[in-house]
Amino acid sequence: MNTQTLTAALPQTRRGRRWSPRLVSAEFLKLRKRRGLVISALVLTVVPMLVAYIALVVLHANDPVNNGPAGGMENFVGSMDLLTMLSVGAAILVGATLGTADFGAGVFRELVVTGRSRLALFTARVPAGLGLLLPIAGAAFAITATASTVLAGSQDARWVQVDPGAYEFDLGTVAPSVSLLLASAGWLALVTTVSMVLALGVSSLFGSRGTAIGILLGWYIVVMPLLVGFGSLGSIREGLFYTAADRLAPEALGAPDPAVPMSLAAGIVVVLAWAALPLGLGAWRTCTRDA
Amino acid sequence: MSTQATNGRKESSGTFAVETSDLTKRFGSRVAVAEVDLHVPRGSAFGYLGPNGAGKTTLIRMLLGLTQATAGSMRLLGRPVPAERAAALARVGAIVEEPHFHGHLTGRENLSVIAAAREPEAHDRIDSALTRVGLSQRADERVKRYSQGMRQRLGVARSLLADPELLILDEPTNGLDPAGIHEFRAMIHGFVAEGRTVLLSSHLLDEVEKICDQVAIVDRGRVVMQGSIEELATGGEQTILIATSDDGEGLALLSEHRAVAVATSGPDGIRVALHPDVEAEAAAGDIGRRLVLAGLAIHRFEPTRASLEQRFLEITSRLEEAA
Repeated sequence: MNTQTLTAALPQTRRGRRWSPRLVSAEFLKLRKRRGLVISALVLTVVPMLVAYIALVVLHANDPVNNGPAGGMENFVGSMDLLTMLSVGAAILVGATLGTADFGAGVFRELVVTGRSRLALFTARVPAGLGLLLPIAGAAFAITATASTVLAGSQDARWVQVDPGAYEFDLGTVAPSVSLLLASAGWLALVTTVSMVLALGVSSLFGSRGTAIGILLGWYIVVMPLLVGFGSLGSIREGLFYTAADRLAPEALGAPDPAVPMSLAAGIVVVLAWAALPLGLGAWRTCTRDA
Repeated sequence: MSTQATNGRKESSGTFAVETSDLTKRFGSRVAVAEVDLHVPRGSAFGYLGPNGAGKTTLIRMLLGLTQATAGSMRLLGRPVPAERAAALARVGAIVEEPHFHGHLTGRENLSVIAAAREPEAHDRIDSALTRVGLSQRADERVKRYSQGMRQRLGVARSLLADPELLILDEPTNGLDPAGIHEFRAMIHGFVAEGRTVLLSSHLLDEVEKICDQVAIVDRGRVVMQGSIEELATGGEQTILIATSDDGEGLALLSEHRAVAVATSGPDGIRVALHPDVEAEAAAGDIGRRLVLAGLAIHRFEPTRASLEQRFLEITSRLEEAA
């Protein structure tokens, strides 16, 4: 050990830094070494897409008359619905783990005694979590986009009569456009990011991974859809992440007849608020709690 | 900040590595730390000694910014805390209670996680820290497979990443076997020899007596005594253990000696406590001369001092009586 180190100037440079790539890298190390978490995220995102498209290919190969091509718009939109929902689940798992891993292991105290600001320790978790989550969600999206394009057919979108006097819009089997693919990728990244940040904030606030996962799954799966359906709530529903995210979705992916119409600007503000508010609360709790 | 070389190390200015003034921590109506004035000299091995529940860990947690003080002030390495906490802690290594790690990471990875929160040079110290605590061979195993003793040593390695001027160790030998404790003591002596300051909190008198040269005794949140081990153990009271050919006659003779405060007879001989204001060597010489002049043969003549344990029990029992 070098005992001649001149130490006087070093702390000054550390004090002003809110986060550093080394902290982010350390957070990422902690995450990626959790095999269970990584496997769960893969099982929630990549595996279902692979299984779904393999099944569609097999069905089409066995009975091409009743089962259209595995690719194309119709299946792309269906896959994106599923992938978005599953990516939110993966984001909740990753975010809740990020927010509580150091507390749970008792390591947060050891990090605090280094003198590094608690805010810096907290903020480093965001890029680290996204560093794990977005590539996994991206891989699942890549499978969806590739399969939708490569396995596409030639049927254009059209109205199809399903019953006498009843028509249904069929998106067809043509490949999704590049612009739609890019917009869909961006939208998936946005929804996944906000969900992870939300989970990070909530879990940091409660200090319990299980509690945070339970609350968020209940919120996403039960409470939010119920609230959207309560017409008596009127424009209050614009404040829900569900409706705001739907407003920002590419036209092909969003609800054709949204229950809560809202402006694009309002949608952006609401989504940003859903990211910022829990993040702020989580940061506040991290900075003020006894370590 | 000025620097001065001490024992080969460059360190920040100030006589004390830790200074507290009226430091207090309350949990509701319960006072865990009460108006503590603590002065830990640089380069010393300082024992913070007290029974379980005396407030030792709470004081350490305040020093390290893990919990806020209710009142009072503190300085670490000459810097006020919490105002300059980051700068102060940059050269502080600590083990608070049982060291914790991410079990799914290896020992080396756990150190790299902590090094990332310190200055870049901390990464370069990982290998030497692991070597120093004897964990080089097991550094790439997951910590969940480590024994308690290995975790304790990894905790020490982690605290060395700061190249610390001050090491704060809270009950560091908990869970160590006798060989591990012996090894740990040698390590602490090595740190002090390098010019580092060690603040060791413990409820084990023997441990503090063997490792530390300075000590503060804490009871119910208050520091009741502070000084060198020598000072505290003697407490200003000199004693001599004397065995003669006739202890009965010797006791009668010594009881009348003006330098003797108390003389008591026991199986080992006569225990003589001198008045605190007498010059011990001169008094001992005169006592010996008188015994010889009285025709008594002296078999044993041994100046003694109370052990720290005796002194500690004396102080705390006095406090209990007062309470």
